[in-house]
Amino acid sequence: MSTDAAPIPQWVTDLNFPPASKSKSGSIPDPLGYHSQSGALSKKQAAKESKEPKSQPRKQPTPEEMDTLKLKKAWEVALAPIKSLPMTFFMMYMSGNSLQIFSIMMVYMAFKNPIMGLVATNQAFERFESDTNKAKILQVKLAYIVMQLVALAVGIWKVNGMGLLPTTRSDWLAWEAQRDPLEHAVSAL
Amino acid sequence: MHLPVQALSLSVLLALPASVRAVFQDEVGHIDYHHELLGVPQRETTFFHRPRATEKASLLYTLSDLGVLGAVNPSNGAIVWRQLLAGNGTEGGGFLRAAEDQTWLAGAYGSSVSSWDALTGRNVWSLYLDGVIKDLEVMEITERGGKDVLALHQEQSATVARRIHGTEGHVIWEHKEVNNDIPLQVSTSLEKVFVVTLHGSLLSYNLKVIVLDILTGKKLDEIPLATKDGVQKPEDVMFVGAHSAAPIVAWTDNGMTKLNVNVLGLKSKQEFPLPPDTVEVEIHAPHTVQSSPHFLVHSRTKSGSKADVFHIDLKSNAITKAYELPLLQGGNAFSTSSSGSNVYFTRVTDDEVIVTSSTSHGILGRWPVKAEARKSGAIHGVSEVIKKSGDSYAVRTVVVTDSDDWTQIVNGEHAWTRLEGLSGAVAATWVEIPESEDLARTLEAEAHSNPWSAYVHRVNRHINDLQYLPSYLQSIPARLLSSITGSEGGQSTDKVARDSFGFNKLVVLATKRGKLYGLDAGNHGKIVWSKNANETPSEKNWDVRAIHADNAKGFVTVRGSEGQFIIVKSDTGRTVEAMPSTLFPPVDSAIVVDSDAGPWLLPIERDGKLADVQVGWAPRQTVVTRTSENEIQGFGYMKKDELATPVPIWSFSPLAGQHIVNIATRPQHDPIASIGRVLGDRTVKYKYLNLNTVVVAAVNSETSVLSTYLLDTVSGQVLASSSYEGVDPDKEISCTISENWFLCTYYGQYELRDSQTQNLKGYQVVISDLYESELANDRGPLGDAANFSSLDPVDLPTGPALPSVVSKTFILSGPITSLAVTQTRQGIAIRQLLAYMPESHSIIGIPRMLLEPRRPVGRDPTAAELEEGLSRYAPAIELDPRMTVTHSRDVLGIHNILVAPAVLESTCLVFAFGIDIFGTRVTPSLAFDLLDKGFNKVTLVATVVALFVGVLGLGPMVRKKQINLRWHAPM
Repeated sequence: MSTDAAPIPQWVTDLNFPPASKSKSGSIPDPLGYHSQSGALSKKQAAKESKEPKSQPRKQPTPEEMDTLKLKKAWEVALAPIKSLPMTFFMMYMSGNSLQIFSIMMVYMAFKNPIMGLVATNQAFERFESDTNKAKILQVKLAYIVMQLVALAVGIWKVNGMGLLPTTRSDWLAWEAQRDPLEHAVSAL
Repeated sequence: MHLPVQALSLSVLLALPASVRAVFQDEVGHIDYHHELLGVPQRETTFFHRPRATEKASLLYTLSDLGVLGAVNPSNGAIVWRQLLAGNGTEGGGFLRAAEDQTWLAGAYGSSVSSWDALTGRNVWSLYLDGVIKDLEVMEITERGGKDVLALHQEQSATVARRIHGTEGHVIWEHKEVNNDIPLQVSTSLEKVFVVTLHGSLLSYNLKVIVLDILTGKKLDEIPLATKDGVQKPEDVMFVGAHSAAPIVAWTDNGMTKLNVNVLGLKSKQEFPLPPDTVEVEIHAPHTVQSSPHFLVHSRTKSGSKADVFHIDLKSNAITKAYELPLLQGGNAFSTSSSGSNVYFTRVTDDEVIVTSSTSHGILGRWPVKAEARKSGAIHGVSEVIKKSGDSYAVRTVVVTDSDDWTQIVNGEHAWTRLEGLSGAVAATWVEIPESEDLARTLEAEAHSNPWSAYVHRVNRHINDLQYLPSYLQSIPARLLSSITGSEGGQSTDKVARDSFGFNKLVVLATKRGKLYGLDAGNHGKIVWSKNANETPSEKNWDVRAIHADNAKGFVTVRGSEGQFIIVKSDTGRTVEAMPSTLFPPVDSAIVVDSDAGPWLLPIERDGKLADVQVGWAPRQTVVTRTSENEIQGFGYMKKDELATPVPIWSFSPLAGQHIVNIATRPQHDPIASIGRVLGDRTVKYKYLNLNTVVVAAVNSETSVLSTYLLDTVSGQVLASSSYEGVDPDKEISCTISENWFLCTYYGQYELRDSQTQNLKGYQVVISDLYESELANDRGPLGDAANFSSLDPVDLPTGPALPSVVSKTFILSGPITSLAVTQTRQGIAIRQLLAYMPESHSIIGIPRMLLEPRRPVGRDPTAAELEEGLSRYAPAIELDPRMTVTHSRDVLGIHNILVAPAVLESTCLVFAFGIDIFGTRVTPSLAFDLLDKGFNKVTLVATVVALFVGVLGLGPMVRKKQINLRWHAPM
């Protein structure tokens, strides 16, 4: 094998030991399948170098403090839907009850957001949950669900305002049948 | 919240004219068709005449048997102008005379005499006199130089002759002869006026000639003429010459063997023998005063016609026979034409046109009639002979043929034909174009066999149909092309076939002259077939009482009042069965009833009587008939042995003193899309939908009170009634009913309730909506019951379930008649009230939204009401020309409008008949399911093609650019 070692082609060498990147400008994308590792490396290094002077040894918080912090964060997340509600409400009021693309989009969002939020309740609080604050997080979750329901109610209010809820007699008129006469008459007049 | 209301009201207001704009200009002649008709011209009142003495061209004038006075351009047969002298349903008659070298025509009809500008058809003057007009003549020579009109009226036991100023229309003198004579005709000479009357009693009349002074109208002489029982009735005197060119009176004896001729002013008469077997004699004399005094006697025998020409010697007053024209077989029409003193007689036979001069029997011209003009026999005609250079002559003859057409023949060539037989229609019905019988039969066979064999049969049929695939594929490019360019390639063919939109339908039309026509409504009302309904033509008008189309079999049944009926195939007009009159009892009408043996047409005998029928044919429904002038009865059939006898169940008469003027029944096809009306606040007002209802309008002539009654036709119960004061009982009162509303229109004077001094007067329409309850969201006393019986008393103190009625009255800007309501396939599109406006000669479509009884009174509508489309009540409705469905056409004398739904929900087919024939399509809710003609398919296809080409061309370019972007790494 050593005898064969001498004629290693140049391209193999180039492949194994690529030349250093010129790293001219980052705006030019790399061709497909080509990862300029060296560039990425250099970026990481640069980042490290830039961070290192700032990083100072921090005092690790105690688990209790962590729990309180997490709880605070969780409450923030839970109350987030209600905070945007006045704005939504105002926009819905202003957009009117006619069926237009804007109001339809708003209604769609008004339903999509709370429902998606409800579905993703557990994921939303996953990162704040720990073994010790489970009970408290449950309260937060319930509050979150209530808030989402309130947001949903706004959506329903809007849909009702647009007349899309089948709440009136006229919505069921098509299912009411005409009364048939038992006798018939023909008029030859 | 103020803004949306305003915006909404604005949008509603803007939408209103859009919904009433009935016809766009580019649709005229495309979706509608119009047969502009005069009626069949009468022999005495048809002539060529020059409207201006200075112009050379003459027009063809006629006063038809329907009382339409019209001028026709002889070069193309187009109508120049028309005037309706009488209302509908007249029996012909009337007089029309032209004054030579004058610009006016004099016409008389009924009791009135009028004068019309010959070129424009404008009325110069009209006189409405007492009595009945008996004759009208133009006095050719007057002392002032102009021409005057002589009119002869028959009043109650008096004969009145009047001389009327020709251009000013005032009576110059009047001579009244008080006796019981029957005035016949009036004639003039240079210094005298002759009034010919019949003196005596029925079956033995004598002629009497009264001689009047032409200047003063004073009676100069009275000459009795003995007729020796020759004259039994006024019609027996066949001819009285109008002026000095034909100063004769002529009549035949009873056996039609001799012709008696008297020269006016003389006491003697001359006799001339007639050919044997003569059935009818006509005398043709020149119309102008300067013509030679020659006349032609046309004797019609059973098989042919013969003519004798006579000359009158004006000095010796002797009549001599000059020559005779031989007896020729077939239909013959003679006519006279004069130029200067020359008189020409034109004879039109089945295959020739022959012109002779009155002086000698030599034939001046003879033209064989070309085949296309030879369809039917000529009955009478008028002609115009022009002498060209040398001895050659040209002749144009306009003849009325026995198929009621009016055809012009120029030198034997067919020039034009006016289909005047279509006029005077009395009944019509829509007919579906029959599908091919084979297909119908196979489909029926498949429906009745077991599923597997039906399936095999169907597959076989479809495989068999494959043989038509190549021709179908071949037709695709042409169809695509015609569809894109908008031309109607497929419709120009003569084949009558259904179309996918349901616009192609047949109309079977019966006229009062006893003719039946099949018209293709999808192809501009073209005549598909025509035929005589009676084998023997009768003088009486055909009184059609019922016309019924059986679309399953493709038959149309027409029943006359004398019991006669005819059943024809709707697509070919072939007679399936015909029954002459008097074999069956006279009928009032006929109606389709259901029985155990299937539906059949039940005849209603005179006075609403019903005959016994066999048990199997007993109608299941209650049959409602009008048993007398003022009584309506409902009959049920009671089974007794083999026969079922009609038993009266209920009867209805209006209040004492009232007589029934109109009865409106529901249309056959009246689908209800929604059983309630959704109000602005989303509550529902439920419609009162009772199929067994009719509206009866009865008026009291003394108190001028009109009452309308809504009757339940099963129980006879009056469901709603109302009275209107100050209604003119002599003007037309008509009603119509549809869905849950009915309306009546009348002329009346209405006193305002809030200010007694104010009167409203005019044509009014009152519309009433019927609801199950006054309250919204309430289905009335019957609640949610799935069915109801009119005979069951409802367990309520109020008795039967009565509708809640909301009414409003509107004042229209003109009279409307012949009401009809549009019908669509499923009843989703809003309804329109179609009506004929007799004063503006057009058909109007009034949207139901405009005639809405729930419009708020005295206040602006609330937001909820606006959402419903209700606008503030305004008592006056302007019959806007934009609402007319006839556009600017002049549609004359419509007395019935038929509607039929198309396959497209938006569209309703309309067919109006009377004197004219008019048909169109209306879209009450606009054509929401049909692309209009303005839709540019070329642009659409071009856009798609351009986009496709663009994508094809740009795709590789973009791909190349993207790849280049990847590879051209910047160095």
